[in-house]
Amino acid sequence: MSTPLPQSNRLPQAYGGGQPAQLADVLERVLDKGIVIAGDIQINLLDIELLTIKLRLLVASADKAREMGIDWWEGDPFLARGGDGALEDRIKRLEQAAGLEGKEVEQRR
Amino acid sequence: VSGSGWYVYGVVPAGEAGADVFEGAVGVDASEPVVLVADGALAAIASKVSLAEFGEGEVEERLHDPAWLEEKVRAHEAVLEAALGRTTLVPFRFGTIYRGEEQVRRMLREHAALKATLERLRGRIELGVKGYLDTERFAAAREEGGAEAQGGGGRAYLLRKQAERELADAREAFKGECALEAHERLSTAADDARANPPHRPEVSGRPGEMFLNAAYLIAPEGQERVRSVLGELESRHSPHGVWYELTGPWPPYNFVEEEDE
Repeated sequence: MSTPLPQSNRLPQAYGGGQPAQLADVLERVLDKGIVIAGDIQINLLDIELLTIKLRLLVASADKAREMGIDWWEGDPFLARGGDGALEDRIKRLEQAAGLEGKEVEQRR
Repeated sequence: VSGSGWYVYGVVPAGEAGADVFEGAVGVDASEPVVLVADGALAAIASKVSLAEFGEGEVEERLHDPAWLEEKVRAHEAVLEAALGRTTLVPFRFGTIYRGEEQVRRMLREHAALKATLERLRGRIELGVKGYLDTERFAAAREEGGAEAQGGGGRAYLLRKQAERELADAREAFKGECALEAHERLSTAADDARANPPHRPEVSGRPGEMFLNAAYLIAPEGQERVRSVLGELESRHSPHGVWYELTGPWPPYNFVEEEDE
């Protein structure tokens, strides 16, 4: 690969100096993105503390996202599985308000 | 639980980057070197871990400890960053552990589709763009435009309440417009794009409301374009209280969904 970005654009720490990357950015990527390939040791990343972190990261404004046409929760297995009743209820209400009757939410359970 | 396992950070094409890339890199177990475990055309970036720390059960205990989690997650990222820019890589999600080196090799053989993923990602990096709105500045800019309620008394109170509602509506609409425009225009500079949920203020630690949290898969020639699009967006949006934050280059975490089978 060629031409890495100049350092001024590198907010995270990789090329020395500068501030470390925001923890939220690193957590979001390392815990929630990245390819999932089964290892020999099963780590349950849906552990309760992690759920809290995920909630803090993910529960922004679902209605805003829908308004913008970004249905990020549709494909999120965590949200689809429903780790938190309040959140799911909220999404369901939003879907009902949008005329979807919460059908998709039900099916995913 | 005693013994050791192999923690895998990601996969690279074999023979492209020397093992010296990871000299000095500190993995999730600081006492073990980070090495390449190759099989055929692929090599795993890996390091030994103690199962007393990373064994099933043990690790789940430690996930409760935010300081432990932050240290390990940052180590995972730092190891991948050591390779970023030196070779193409497929980043793994946190916590992929095998019993031994042979099991790592078998994983490489069983996931031949990683070769196609590496090919698709060749030379590409991920850039993050976050957009924020300073709500006070947005309100001030709007007042300058003559949208402020005047006068006193009961009627003025109602007018003021109405103005507050209008301000909130205008702010939400404006954030949506900025997010859409920024995401559409930045996407034209990218091979691929993802809009993730914005972080709430207590997570972002920034004094504004995040309205865009996106990732872009960028070829080397696209990097300049991203910067110029961002500069142009900011010059138009900043009088209304908007600013954008560029992060990266990141390993392409957002662009590696499993594509085999």
